Amino acid sequence: MNRDELVSYIPDTFKDKVQLLDTGRAEPFFLIKAENLLEFSRAIKDDPKLHMDWLSCVSGVDTGEHFEVVYSVASVQTKIRFDYKVVLAYDGAEIESVQTVWPGANWHEREVWELYGINIRNHGNLTRFLLPDDWDQGHPLRKDWDAPDFVRMPEK
Amino acid sequence: MSESRGLHTKEFTLNVGPHHPSTHGVCRFVLKMEGEVITHVTPVIGYLHRALEKICENRTYEQIIPVTDRFEYCTAMSCNMAFSLATEKLAGIEVPERAEYLRVIMLELNRISSHLIWLGTTSLDLGALTPFLYAFREREYILDLFEMTCGQRLTFNYIRPAGVSRDIPPEFIPKCREFIDMFNDKIDDYERVLTENPIFIARNKNIGILPPDVAIAYAVSGPALRASGVKFDLRRDDPYSIYDRFDFDIPTRENGDCYDRYLIRIQEMRESTKIVRQAIEQIPEGEIRGKFNKMNFKPPAGEVYCRVENSRGELGIYLQAADKEKKPLRVKMRGGSFNQLQVMPVICVGHKIADLVAIMASMDIIMPDVDR
Repeated sequence: MNRDELVSYIPDTFKDKVQLLDTGRAEPFFLIKAENLLEFSRAIKDDPKLHMDWLSCVSGVDTGEHFEVVYSVASVQTKIRFDYKVVLAYDGAEIESVQTVWPGANWHEREVWELYGINIRNHGNLTRFLLPDDWDQGHPLRKDWDAPDFVRMPEK
Repeated sequence: MSESRGLHTKEFTLNVGPHHPSTHGVCRFVLKMEGEVITHVTPVIGYLHRALEKICENRTYEQIIPVTDRFEYCTAMSCNMAFSLATEKLAGIEVPERAEYLRVIMLELNRISSHLIWLGTTSLDLGALTPFLYAFREREYILDLFEMTCGQRLTFNYIRPAGVSRDIPPEFIPKCREFIDMFNDKIDDYERVLTENPIFIARNKNIGILPPDVAIAYAVSGPALRASGVKFDLRRDDPYSIYDRFDFDIPTRENGDCYDRYLIRIQEMRESTKIVRQAIEQIPEGEIRGKFNKMNFKPPAGEVYCRVENSRGELGIYLQAADKEKKPLRVKMRGGSFNQLQVMPVICVGHKIADLVAIMASMDIIMPDVDR
């Protein structure tokens, strides 16, 4: 399935659950609602034409206006690759864990929880990860995070 | 095992690392043991966390390249490559033909040098000193080649968006040809010491078996995936740069144990020499860097996830750019070791503590890649 077929196949199959974004510069990016996350993830893995069995990466993003969580998925069998994301408001940002679909999501989600403070439901192991055990200075990858020894490059 | 003798010992907790020679960096394992048998593994990471992703958000695109060097310093070229590729896709930048060939030559030489570090340290972990000395002797040739090209031996800052930083000197091609002519015989030397070695086989065969379905579920990539019988290599299956022009094999094995992972890497070094040989035969003359405004590069808003195959598997960069900004909004680095370490608790259970060292070594986990 090439890119053109993919950008029509996914909206055709999942209807209003998914929306194609125009920001993807290589592979297509889709936007889904947070409440459909687990259902959509399972569906793209089980769909015989897509068979997305490979979760490359889960990236949290703070755009300065809201949070995003980007899932980069691929398939070993069909060689298809695309990304999808959920957009979350700052207040009470929370998503469902996708570990039941891809067990490898565990550490990626733990990182999102730790560095952005996005809560992951049904994760089971949300403990300190990259940061020191006694860390109490918030979530460093948020755009509003500042620390005494962190100096931003001046804007010019 | 303790059960077989009718002895039952109380379960106890054992700490390994973070400063332990076999953990190849600073990784800690908290093991639950019954006698000598591991019943539970908890990797504890973060000792090498340098906040690279946060640093990237505070720099221009050209300034990020040296940061990516530190991301995975055993194969710094492929980190440069992944970030450059992501930047090029973001803004639709063209790369000159000669630069593409130089990139492939450097990437493959770097893959060999990384596998040589792996071979040396693995054999050290398993008690064989000789291959370590052999491997570092040959690695020196490659580092000399890098040094004459970009002045650096470990953190290259060589592959840049739209091309490479400088051209190779005239001595490079003859020296490189000399190396690849000699290197296959050297691999035979390593194999003579290790492949049929009964101690090495006893330590590796049927140890740490990674079934293919588990490997895919945990996104374990690279040689570890191919040793489990999954023929998947991004150079072939999601081709980037000019890899589709070269003739090389993707070796696979069936058992997915430590011994197979060893054989795969040995075979991959031979395949890499094939690619380098073809590349230095075909390399055209011409420009080495395309159009790229390095002081004031401001891409349009967009996002891209870009992945390359390095010696540890899938190295991915997720890059999101805000509109007309000098600094990226988000750079996420995904290294192969991250997922390889994550699968360790699954495959170590039931093995003895000495096998943990062999499994860790055979997965080729290095910590800068995990902690970032």
